[in-house]
Amino acid sequence: MRKQADIAIIGIGVTKFGELFHQSYDDLVRDAAMQAITDAQISIDDIEAAWLSTAFPEIGVFKGRSGMDLCEPLSLYNIPVTRVSNYCASGADAIRNAANALRAGECDVAMALGVEKLRDRQPQDSIVKMMVEYGHPFLQKGFTAAGTFAIYASRIMHEYGVKREDISAISAKNHYHGSLNKKAHHQKCCTIDEVMASPMVADPLTVMDSCATTDGAACVIMVRAEDVDKHKHNPVLIKGIGLSIATGWDMPFFDPNHDFLSFQATRNAAKTAYLQAGITKPIDEIDLIEVHDCFSIVELLTYEDLGLCKQGEAKDLIRGKETQLGGKIPVNVSGGLLSCGHPVGATGIRMVVEVANHLRGTAGDRQVKNAKRGLTHNIGGPGAIASVIILEK
Amino acid sequence: MSYIKSYGIAFPQFRIEDCVLHPKGRKGVMKAVCYPDEDIITLAFESANKIPKESIDGIFFATATPVFHNRYHASFIADRLNLSPGILALDFTMSSRSGTDALLLANELINSGKYMNILVIASDAHYPEIGRETSTPFGHGACSVLLSNEKGFAEISSSNTVSSSFAEEFIYKGEYIQFDPRFSRDAGFKTNLVAALKTLDSSRSSFDSVIVNSLYSRMAGPFFAKAGFEERQFSNDVIINKTGNTGTAHALFLLLNDLELEKKEILLADYTNGTNLFKIKNNLPPEHKPLQEQINNYDLVRSYQDYLIMRKAGDFNSPGYHTKEMFSSEMMQEREKESLLYLKGLKCESCGTIYYLKSAQCKKCKRTTFSEVQLKDTGTVYAITNEHYFPASFPPISMVVVDLDGGGRMTVQQTDTMYPDKNEIKIGSKVKLVLRKMIENDAKPNYFWKAKQL
Repeated sequence: MRKQADIAIIGIGVTKFGELFHQSYDDLVRDAAMQAITDAQISIDDIEAAWLSTAFPEIGVFKGRSGMDLCEPLSLYNIPVTRVSNYCASGADAIRNAANALRAGECDVAMALGVEKLRDRQPQDSIVKMMVEYGHPFLQKGFTAAGTFAIYASRIMHEYGVKREDISAISAKNHYHGSLNKKAHHQKCCTIDEVMASPMVADPLTVMDSCATTDGAACVIMVRAEDVDKHKHNPVLIKGIGLSIATGWDMPFFDPNHDFLSFQATRNAAKTAYLQAGITKPIDEIDLIEVHDCFSIVELLTYEDLGLCKQGEAKDLIRGKETQLGGKIPVNVSGGLLSCGHPVGATGIRMVVEVANHLRGTAGDRQVKNAKRGLTHNIGGPGAIASVIILEK
Repeated sequence: MSYIKSYGIAFPQFRIEDCVLHPKGRKGVMKAVCYPDEDIITLAFESANKIPKESIDGIFFATATPVFHNRYHASFIADRLNLSPGILALDFTMSSRSGTDALLLANELINSGKYMNILVIASDAHYPEIGRETSTPFGHGACSVLLSNEKGFAEISSSNTVSSSFAEEFIYKGEYIQFDPRFSRDAGFKTNLVAALKTLDSSRSSFDSVIVNSLYSRMAGPFFAKAGFEERQFSNDVIINKTGNTGTAHALFLLLNDLELEKKEILLADYTNGTNLFKIKNNLPPEHKPLQEQINNYDLVRSYQDYLIMRKAGDFNSPGYHTKEMFSSEMMQEREKESLLYLKGLKCESCGTIYYLKSAQCKKCKRTTFSEVQLKDTGTVYAITNEHYFPASFPPISMVVVDLDGGGRMTVQQTDTMYPDKNEIKIGSKVKLVLRKMIENDAKPNYFWKAKQL
């Protein structure tokens, strides 16, 4: 791999996450985009290329099937716009594509915008329905999204002595962080006991171990680092981006080589991003991390996959409160997906905006002190695709 | 002369007692009843799956409760069993006598010399009207009998049929049962059986077992006595109180029961809408007694409500498959049946890793040459979760990652788990794959593998 030129984020925007029945898909696009454009102090038509991340148009409002669903709400025409779809890594992949186009010189100002509208549906007419009625008619029938990750928990608990309390402690921690985030879907603290007592979804994961389906959008404006106007912008640098597909939708569940103890995709993506950013001891060299905690077990596994600790030792990080705000390496100070919710296409970009706020020192109550370097992580499809982005001040 | 070379039995795991079906019902009197993912197809498959298939050149399917109206169940099952394509496949239906009708024709065809090995399957899953279960005989089950021209443990030395115009079943008219046994008992049962017995040319005393399969079998005594039989020769139906009356399969169950009980000379009279009469000689009793094993291995349904949920998942009045807008996947079922149905996997020729799903290269050693292997249908649970929100008759559904004995891995649902408090499956448990119904669709339901704890 050749050395990657630094890319700067000069504008960030994120909507409130939640059940946004009063805002349409187009409203969310406008909301996030105009925040970022205003922050970057540019005009709409300064954008020369854009990437739109929406993962599930068909279970939302049939919007986001092409790049034009970004153009229309903004009247941003006559430029190339591409829709990106890569399950839960869609948002991060939009940023990766924008960065690469800037490096290639296709454009000088790029926008990556993620948006997902999951709540304009009837009850039970959502992702569960997708798992029940669509997809392969034989393979994996019976799984919900929670189940595909819960099955990892069975092995982790079996092999490493992880307890249900450890898994639910992730949720309690992130809900505490979420209580400090005015844009989170759920802004309420909870105890480990409350997490464990909430209704079971897929053993050992309860409702409160699972993220919500949520509406929301997030946006970043990116330029090459050398083009930053130092008087105007408060830039955050992208120092590394890794994206990897390490298995398929069905394959892990039918692959005798798979141990259900880690996500190879995360390991691959982290390796690439660490190499680009020159990181060798992540736990000492990174100040905060946004992990894809779609279900609490995923955050626990990811500690190991990101190299924060040895295999089997993730439980010690959570037991020692090392990943809580004020700990050695705060994880998901935004509240994570567990508090913010998970508008799939927007989540990866929402995380980058979160880390950018900490690096700028504008994160408010949940500010990580002296944050100089942060990491965002996404995984999806389930466990097949992962992305890691390294951001620096 | 034809021989019974092999046979197989399938009852659902669950039984319901008459006292659960109705407050006045008897305790200890049970009906075998299908789990929601079972039907006559899955029962038939289970009963036939272990029978040697190599030389089968004909398959007959008998049922009085068909699920298809546009294809033969026999040809559908032949495909599921991976029998030679295009073999003789016929259905026998409309009467509960059709089980022995199939046996009779199979015997005649083998006697003619044109066919060598015919698989006779009888499978019934009759659901009475809700609330009237104890006033009509029902019970679910299937059996398969391989009839051959090669010597087997029992031989059919003669078969005969005398038809009648009377239907002897209960007739439902709206909510009422029309059932007047007097005329049909006299003009049908008695007249017809007496006529059938006249065709019998052997000495009455040579039989050590006489089976009369009929709703009125208890009334057969007087005219069997008149025809020269003694009371001690009669074989009581000991199955009906353990599984219910299993329709087309019932006469065959009674026959197999006597074979397992080592009766030597058997007379089988199967009466409905006419009589089929067989003389069977038991040469060498089978070592395994699958019928006895399955009759005595069951779980009880605890409440009438559970039973209602077992039926049709809420759509009680649906006579067959009701349409849901789902992926029927007829094309996929045909295209990928080697793996989906026959459990064929791929073995890496270099490192020996066995895969259930196709891929261009081995994930372990990166080589690209594979050979086809037959996967086993037993294995060990590697990982597990219970899905509480996946739609199911009896949630939660357990999803299990199974390492198959001899290699290969599959992830499937666990089945026959009505009561979570009785489900002891965990990492390391041994399981067996069974073919069950995944999705109902009026065109072609999806049958796929599920795991059953051993």
